[in-house]
Amino acid sequence: MVINATPTVVVVDDSPSIKTIFERGMEGLNVKLRIFDSAQSSWEYLAINKPDLLFLNIKMPGKDGLTYLKELRQLPLHRDTAVVMISSKDYAQDRTIANELGARDFLTKPMPIRAITDIVVKYIGN
Amino acid sequence: MSKAYLRFWGVRGSYTAPFASHLGVGGNTSCVEIRVDDHVLLCDAGTGIINFGNHMLRQKDIRDLLIILTHYHWDHICGLPFFVPAFVPDWNISIFGPGQKAADIEEYVSAQMKAPFFPVGTETWLAKVRYITPPPDHRFAHGPIQIAYDNVHHPGSTYGYRIRANGKNILYVSDNECLYLDKSIKLKYGELSAEEQSLYDRMQREEYEAEIKLLQGADIVIHDAQYTPEDYLKKRGWGHSCFIDTVNTAIEAGVKELYLYHHDPNYDDQEMEKIQRRALEVIRERKSDLVCHLAKEGMIIEL
Repeated sequence: MVINATPTVVVVDDSPSIKTIFERGMEGLNVKLRIFDSAQSSWEYLAINKPDLLFLNIKMPGKDGLTYLKELRQLPLHRDTAVVMISSKDYAQDRTIANELGARDFLTKPMPIRAITDIVVKYIGN
Repeated sequence: MSKAYLRFWGVRGSYTAPFASHLGVGGNTSCVEIRVDDHVLLCDAGTGIINFGNHMLRQKDIRDLLIILTHYHWDHICGLPFFVPAFVPDWNISIFGPGQKAADIEEYVSAQMKAPFFPVGTETWLAKVRYITPPPDHRFAHGPIQIAYDNVHHPGSTYGYRIRANGKNILYVSDNECLYLDKSIKLKYGELSAEEQSLYDRMQREEYEAEIKLLQGADIVIHDAQYTPEDYLKKRGWGHSCFIDTVNTAIEAGVKELYLYHHDPNYDDQEMEKIQRRALEVIRERKSDLVCHLAKEGMIIEL
């Protein structure tokens, strides 16, 4: 496991424009941001790194965010990783599954940039 | 020449509609058979699979089949406890659906047959039942039938399937709420800053392009079209499409033939005829050559 002094926020989302939204949301915060466009592309990193906060989209090509979270939770490294779902899917079933898998919050798109900032501050601090 | 066809055994969504007023379209829930020679693929296992099973018991040549499930909501699996070939020893049945591993699929399929919900469990199935391990590249084959799958917009993990059979590309997307993010952005647009509006304009385009891509290149699309625009206003966020959105997306994607599917059980034959007329009006107004049908139980399409 790699330990960083600067808190790391990881985003797994296939939307190309999500990058700008997160970059803007984290301006002025002392955090390192890493963005991956799929579960598959983030796996190599997350297999050995525990971010301070992990944002997971649900509906993505390939593995969906809920299945991916279930898989991550089976790794001792991610048993308690702070996870926030970010999704265009605003369904009760998704919220229930996310909750059962220990997700801390659930943001639905389109969320204002401020919502990202607030969540990061809430779980990591400023 | 190969014997290849597609047959609708169940076309309803949510729950069965065994009412005299509904039987022109059909009352059974989701189940479509795709057949190439002796290879049989079933898309979903709603109550339509019960009649299919009884039909198969009347022939002697085929004893193997593959069932692919879009997800595990009841209307897509509730025919399995009454699917007689599963209880007959010389049958080989493969089952696939969302899940991290084959054991997950088995767990979800078996759950509905556990006490106190059903008198016998899947352990009483005498057929050789195999649950398929999810392939890493989301592709597998059943004889000459190629199958690929990806996530669609519906509660939980739900797949849409792209099937290549006898040279035709068939898209089976039984449950998918078309253009959901597009509508969410429109609804909240006024609350966003100018910068956010610009960012979400981009995201809206990306999402739209992804929806078009899902349908592109398909000869035959079988797609969720559960609600009228009037009902969709009340049922937005239930995971199903308004048929107008389905038709428009199919037009944009250049689909050749669309089958409106997963019909709401509240709609009788007269209401369904109205839906078809309105769908054809949209196609005419847009000067599209899309061929659009209502999926009806018993309908057979040669492939």
